[in-house]
Parts: sequence; structure tokens; C-alpha cells
Amino acid sequence: MTNDTTMTKPGGVNRRTLIKSAGALGAALAAGTLDAPAVWGQGKKTIRFLNTETSIDSIRALKVACAEYEKQFGTQIIVDSVPLDDAFTKVTTSLRGGQPYDIATFAFVGHVLLLQAEGHLMPLTELTNKHQWGPKILFPVKNEVYWYPYDYNLAWIYYRKDLYEKHGLSVPKSYAEMLKNTQTLTADGRYGSLFPIGSNGATNWLAPGFMWAEGVKLFDDKWNVTLDSADMAPRVARYLDFFAELYKTMPSGASQASFGEVLSNFSSDKVAHAAYAGRMIEALERNAPKLATQYGMTPYMDSTGKAKAVNHGYDGWVVLKTPNSDESMKFMAWFTENQYINFLHTAPLHFQPPRLDVYDDPRWRAHPLIDKHKEAVQTMRGFITDKSVILTSIDTEGPYPDLRPGKVFEGFVIPEMLQNKILKNMSSAECVKTAADRMRKLTA
Amino acid sequence: MSSKTTIYGFLFVGLAVTLALIVAPAVYAVSLSFYQMDSFIGAPKWAGLANYAAVLQAPEFWRALVNGAIYALGSIVFQVVLGIAFALVLNETFPGRNLVRGLSILPYLLPTVVVILTFKWMVDGGIGIVTKAVEAMGLPPINWFESPGAAMASTILVSVWMWTPFVTTCFLAALQTVPQSLYEAARVDGTTAVQRFFHITLPMLKPILTVVVLLRAIWMFNKFDVIWLLTRGGPVGATENLAVLSYRRAFNLFDIGGGAAIATISFALLSVAVLVYFRVFPLEDD
Repeated sequence: MTNDTTMTKPGGVNRRTLIKSAGALGAALAAGTLDAPAVWGQGKKTIRFLNTETSIDSIRALKVACAEYEKQFGTQIIVDSVPLDDAFTKVTTSLRGGQPYDIATFAFVGHVLLLQAEGHLMPLTELTNKHQWGPKILFPVKNEVYWYPYDYNLAWIYYRKDLYEKHGLSVPKSYAEMLKNTQTLTADGRYGSLFPIGSNGATNWLAPGFMWAEGVKLFDDKWNVTLDSADMAPRVARYLDFFAELYKTMPSGASQASFGEVLSNFSSDKVAHAAYAGRMIEALERNAPKLATQYGMTPYMDSTGKAKAVNHGYDGWVVLKTPNSDESMKFMAWFTENQYINFLHTAPLHFQPPRLDVYDDPRWRAHPLIDKHKEAVQTMRGFITDKSVILTSIDTEGPYPDLRPGKVFEGFVIPEMLQNKILKNMSSAECVKTAADRMRKLTA
Repeated sequence: MSSKTTIYGFLFVGLAVTLALIVAPAVYAVSLSFYQMDSFIGAPKWAGLANYAAVLQAPEFWRALVNGAIYALGSIVFQVVLGIAFALVLNETFPGRNLVRGLSILPYLLPTVVVILTFKWMVDGGIGIVTKAVEAMGLPPINWFESPGAAMASTILVSVWMWTPFVTTCFLAALQTVPQSLYEAARVDGTTAVQRFFHITLPMLKPILTVVVLLRAIWMFNKFDVIWLLTRGGPVGATENLAVLSYRRAFNLFDIGGGAAIATISFALLSVAVLVYFRVFPLEDD
């Protein structure tokens, strides 16, 4: 037995040699790392882009665009992709950590407003002024636009045209007609409808459309909560009474349903009505091609059959005030002029263009899915050009863009109002009062 | 290098890592509770104890506290009872025991997000496999999340499913340290299996039981991922505990100070509970 740790087998490696080699390798790596950002040393600019469109097609399109930009202008763009929910935290922590993102994607005007209020955003008015835009999408602050939208994300109602024909139903124009149709189609192992009612973003997006059609406004011009006012309370009550009846035509689990469940239930022929944006058609094309020719689209309707509405979600890019702002602005100008349509094509029917020129652009219309579903695309366009269609959402309610409706959105006030009515059997009047009180607390 | 230097060296590294990664963030989080902040980028305004006053006056806080206690208690009771039962079974000799022991730890090894998504799809009201099985049996649909009680029960169910294997493993290890001679002597005295369990097994498991219950209580009271992924605290706040409330307040409702105040109160409550627990159930018998 020996304590000699340096003893080696012929041709082998002893522990000390291994440690020395590892140390040398570590030192070499460290030295290499110090040398790594050669791009900085050579004066090459690098922009950091935070992307929240995490489909493989969108990421690929961004990377191709960035590579093209680097080839043309020598500026490197590093794309980080994160889920949408993480974007604001990533951006704010990057700002606080001293290495901010230069460009970021957001889908919530409250986040844009917060960053703008703290002076972290570059105005993009110069870029947005080059085009005509649809309504309620630019969210200007003191006449300056601070983001560049690429998607309206409107939510409307999908129904099954084949089932309508089979049962002799007509496209619903009022709550009563909608109820009649969903009740009729709750049969043969299929449910009449699925509209989420849980405390989640899907409910905030897909459930309030009927309420907007009923003419409900959350705030007056001075930001007073109007939900329980003499004018609004009966409208909200009608919406709640209707929704409670509609709920009876849904499969169990509506309180947990989110985006995925809505898509899968409609595309697997389990429900006859559901709300969504163009992603539904893409899902049908991918998973249920037979149904991709059987769907119909209609806006949310009111109780009288006179008004209609869609609920918008929206997505866009911001440019942050960083040492690279000038370069980021140059990239954004190039990207929005040269790559905007390529990016929209990565979710051709879901990314509904807020820029009106795109609808007539042959490059955009050339996409096979857009061409195949041109009737649907025309309907989608109508939702933003037809002035009789109410276009709003919880977080954009009120006289001007502000964080207050954002708090109502993030506080899940409307979903909880629905839950109080449907799951706790509270009276509609009580639900409205509870929701209005909560809104006042959140926005105080 | 002397062994003393080595010991101090390792101690220093451990201490530095603890300070940097645990103590400093905790102190920072507590300090945030004294400020009013919309987000991490805004200039913080000194608020003193205003955040604490606001939080303690909010009915949501008390609801979340009660929900957290119900969830923790319900989860621990089932996890411990089932964990001991499974451990007793796995401690017996039977063919394929090693395989069953290995499989029994599986739910604990699965990432939380996988367990939750699997559960949600299984009980999906339209296409879930459980829903279909219930339908096939001619039974009415089960509303897993549609009422406050059902949502809490579902959340506890998933937690029991995920973490009972941990408890089982702990008790199984402890069971193997119980001297067989005790059981043999008891058998000679004519005791029944139930008597042997309550008079030999359970007392011998007491030290590990104390630690397991404490650990599970801390983890369950602070549980965020399961509740967030499963119910987001709904319906109507029925499954919202302090961890979820703190997160929602800080990151959804733009109230970093309020969220930090809730987290600080939760930390204080747990510290007191742990102290009381050790007073009542000391780890070492006198």
C-alpha cells in the first residue's frame, strides 16, 4: 500500500496531472472568454431583441431577418425568445441590471405605459406615421406613439356552418339567438359552446365581447368606475344572465379553460361555438382539415340584435432608450419596411395586420393560407373597418391609455364577476356591485 | 494547508454563497415592503408601514392565509398517512419489491409543470380521458374546478399525488432502522399488527415524522407552482394562498411593496410556526 498519489499506471493519467490539465483548460477558457466579445473591441454594434412570439416559424423569421440585417449593415442582433408572461419582468430586470434589451415585444399597453412614464422608451411616431393604421391600436401618449404594433389579436365567435345547415340555424344576432343555437347543438356528444370563465388571460380576452356589444363601458371620461351606474348596471346584468345560460351549454372545466383548451375543443369537434382569433383557422388546417372548410365567423352580439363587438388583444414592439437606441431605431425602420410581412406570414391568419396597407399588399395576400381563407380575411378586415363594430378590451377601456384598466385586467375583475354569477350563484346585481367595488379599490 | 484553514475555507465559501443567494435577496425583499413601487424600474417612494396596514386590512389577505392553511393541512395529512401506509407495504418482502420501490418515486421525479398539464388534460371537460371514462360509466360529469371546494380538493389531490413518494421514501428509510428484535419480542408477547404499529413503529418513526411534517408544512404553505399552474388561485380566490397573492400583487397588480409585505408576513408567520412546532415536538427526546 502506498500514499504516493503521483504514482501512475504506464500510459495512464494520474489525479494530479488531471487537476493540472483541468486548471490549464479552465485558465485557457477564462482567457478565451475575456477575449470573446471581439465585436465590441472592433466597434461592431450588437442589439438585443426580446421576442415573445415563441413559435418556431416566428423565431426562424426573426433570425433570418437579423442575419440579413447583419449582412447588410454589420450590426449583430441577438434574439432572446421568452414566453409572453415573462417579457415585462425580463425587460425591467435587464434595465435594472444595467444591460437592457434594446428592442422588446409587448402585448399589454400597461407595460408600454409604465416604461414610457419612466422615460425608457423611444418614440416610434416617425415610423408609424408612414402608414395608415386601424382604430385603437397605436395608444399614443401626448401625441407620440411608443410602440409598433404587428397584430390586432381580435377575438370573435366561430361556429360550425355544417351544423347550422343541418339544423336549419341562422347566424345569431342576439343573445337569445345565440342561446337557441348553442342549446340546439348541445347533443350527440357535442357541447354547444366553450367560452372560458377562469381567472386567466383567456377569459379576459374571449369572454367580455358580449358585454362590449351590450354597450358596457368600464369608466367615464374622468376615470370614474361606471360598471354599476344606473345606465351600465342593467346592461352588465343582462350580460351575466345570458352568460349563466350559455354556461349550461359548455363542457365541464370552463373555469380552467385557457387558449389551448378552446382551440382543441373546437378543432376536435367537441364544441360547436368558441371564440378565438385567426389561430383557430390555423389549428383547423393543421389538426382538422375537414373542419377548415366548415367554420363560420361572427362578432359578439348584444341582447337586442342591434350591436356587435370584437375584443382585441394586440402585440407590438418597443425600442428602449439604451446606448444602442440609434442603431435600434435604424433596425426597426428597416425591419418594419422590409421584413414586416415575412414576420406576419409566420402566423398568417393569426397575426391580423393593424397596418391597413398590408391588406392590399400582394406579398401578404400571396400566402397560401391567406389566399385560401380570403373570405375570412375579408371578414377580419371588416371588424376593424366597419365602424358599427365595437372594438375594445378590458385593458384599453377608459378615455385614454392608462394603467388603471390594466389593473382591472390583471386583477381578473371581469372573470371573477362571471365566476360569482356562474359558480357561486350570486345575483347579477350583487355580482356587478362586487366587481365595481373591486375596480374602485384596484384603481384608487 | 492545515485542516483548520481548509475547514474555515469551506465555511467561508458556504457562508458567502448563503449570504449572496439567500440572505441578501431576503433582506432586499423585506426592504421593498417599506416602499411604494409600481415596478422595478420606477423610483421607490418611502411608505413606512403603509403596505403592511393595507395588506392586513385587505380581506384577500385573510382569505389567502386561511386557504394556505387548509391546503397545507389537507396535503400534509394525506401525504403522511398515505406515505406511511405505502412505506409499510414497501417494507414487506414480496416479488418485484425493488421495481415497485423504484416506480413509487416516479411522480416525485416528474417536473411540476408536466404533472399539472397532464392532470388538466386528463380531466378536461370535453376531451379528457377521465371525463370520457366517467361518461362511459354513465356517471354525471365531475366538476373538478367549478366550485371553491372542488378546486381546493383538486389542488390537494395533485399535491398528494406528487409528494407522497417523498414521504414514503423518508419513512421507508426510517423503517429499515427499526430493530427487528423489537417486533420479534412483541410477537412473543402476543401483540397484534395494529398494536405493533402504534407501540413500536410509530414511536420509532417519531423523529423522522417530526422532520417530514415540518418540511412538508413549510413547502406546502409556501407552495406556488402547483396552485398557479392549476387554478391561478381561482375560482374567485378559493385556492389563492399567500405565495400566489404576493406574486399577483407584485407582478400583476403593479404593487411591488404590497407583494413584498405579504411575503414578509408569510415568512414571519412561518418562522413563528416553526419555533412553536419545535417547542411542542422537540427533535431530541430528553
